Amino acid sequence: MNVIEINQLTKYYGKHRGIENVSFSVEKGEIFGFIGPNGAGKSTTIRALLSLIYPTSGTATIFGKDCIKYGKEIRKDIGYLPSEVFYYENMKVIEVLKYSASFYDDVDMSRIQTLSQTMDLDLNKRIDDLSYGNKKKVGIVQGLLHEPKLIILDEPTGGLDPLMQQKFFDLIRIENEKGATVLFSSHILTEVQKLCRRVAIIKDGSIVKVENLQDMRQHNYKKFTIEFENVVDPAAFGFEGITSLTQEETTLHFLYKGDINKVINRLQGKVLRNMLVEEPTLEEIFMHYYQKEN
Amino acid sequence: MNIFFKELKANYKSLLIWSCAQVFIIFAGMMKYKGFADSGVDINSLFAGFPKELLVVFGMGSTDISQVAGFYSVFFLYFMLLAAVHAVMFGAVVVSKEERDHSADFLFSRPVKRHEVITPKLLAGVVNILFFNLVTFGASVFFIGLYNNGDGLVDKVAITMVALFVLQLFFLALGAMLGASLKTTKIATSAAAGIILGTFFLSVAVDLNANFDILKYLTPFKYFNAKMLVIDGTLSLNSVGILLVVTFILTTLCYLIFNKRDLST
Repeated sequence: MNVIEINQLTKYYGKHRGIENVSFSVEKGEIFGFIGPNGAGKSTTIRALLSLIYPTSGTATIFGKDCIKYGKEIRKDIGYLPSEVFYYENMKVIEVLKYSASFYDDVDMSRIQTLSQTMDLDLNKRIDDLSYGNKKKVGIVQGLLHEPKLIILDEPTGGLDPLMQQKFFDLIRIENEKGATVLFSSHILTEVQKLCRRVAIIKDGSIVKVENLQDMRQHNYKKFTIEFENVVDPAAFGFEGITSLTQEETTLHFLYKGDINKVINRLQGKVLRNMLVEEPTLEEIFMHYYQKEN
Repeated sequence: MNIFFKELKANYKSLLIWSCAQVFIIFAGMMKYKGFADSGVDINSLFAGFPKELLVVFGMGSTDISQVAGFYSVFFLYFMLLAAVHAVMFGAVVVSKEERDHSADFLFSRPVKRHEVITPKLLAGVVNILFFNLVTFGASVFFIGLYNNGDGLVDKVAITMVALFVLQLFFLALGAMLGASLKTTKIATSAAAGIILGTFFLSVAVDLNANFDILKYLTPFKYFNAKMLVIDGTLSLNSVGILLVVTFILTTLCYLIFNKRDLST
């Protein structure tokens, strides 16, 4: 059963494109990644799901019910962490959380304590006085407080230090194991890879691909930067699997997909000063993977 | 209920400040009456020497301001203006501030319908303007009584306050409609201030020039005549009816427009 089903969803702000014909679905119980660069339309899609904005055309259902028509009913079971967390500045953290809880039936108030302890959040501070990362934590706690069946996270990790990110991921995994479905939006691929099995990739308002991350890893690109002692002939690296080869004096840059040993063999007998093998950025994946294949 | 109480809490300080301002204006206005009365000068003949236009601008066109009721009726224009500004600003801000404060995504992602947010906010507005109205009532009766041998003209002031409340409701609804339909709080409050100023000057223009008489229906400040209210104690039910109908229309528009609104982050 699909918890989220988005069908040809389109949103224009006047003449400005928000999203165009976005379609994908999220299965019950999965952690689904939603990745794309800033401004690609991730937040627009999510905000349309929550009927914070109304789509120009297309439909979306959550729990099998139309998002707009049954918005109130659906939102009872949604926990949402907005990308930009601002709350009532002159309230204390505990007041915001209690205010949030007051909108739901049967909230287990002890969860305020346990969640904020896990996230190391001071309940008695005023929202005003919190750093960006701490405001994110308030967002996380209010999003998970009422034990929602669907958790929608829009760029949740910004401002969190790595330790907190880890704790946050653990929390999400726990909720997921308890049965919650998660839609996780991010522009950082590695972050999504840690949690998600499937991802939808959005670019310029359209879904480029919905893919299993397992498949994606198989034809994953590596980004090579090799600095040689002397200028080398780039033709030596003109073999299958290498793309966007560029040369800067003694340095070669290229993307490679395939058996890593082939590259290592070509390096035999050459004197290197430095070598970097990196995960390509999301942008580079868009450039050299999806655009080529489509 | 949670939204209603949150709005009351968020607004009580500003309500107290507005109320203090109103009490101060009533106090200051009636102090001037004491000054006139004690000086023993025949004010009416004094003002008779002033150009009519000037008197009209200050709302003293044809009123006997040597009597406390007449004097109060002249100043009522300013009490009314302050109440109108308070109500229209409340309406404009209360509807639009979640987007201004970037808390709209939080609030509207709760299991609430749009109208379930607007209704308690407007109810909090009604409580606020009612409080403001009662403060105006209390201060008026107190200060009139001070200069009228203890007779606060309770009956007449009460009727005046009914008229004031109808006006306040109208301005609250106007502000709410502006808040729902305009892009930001800033634009909504600017538009509200513009409308108040515009209609206020229109009411002055109507007083000044009989040719503009037909335009009096366009300005809420001409719907009630302070002299008739305070001196005769009569309330124009036609005006009450028209204003309430317009208030109802504005409120409905506020709901309809806000329901369709794309909330900004």
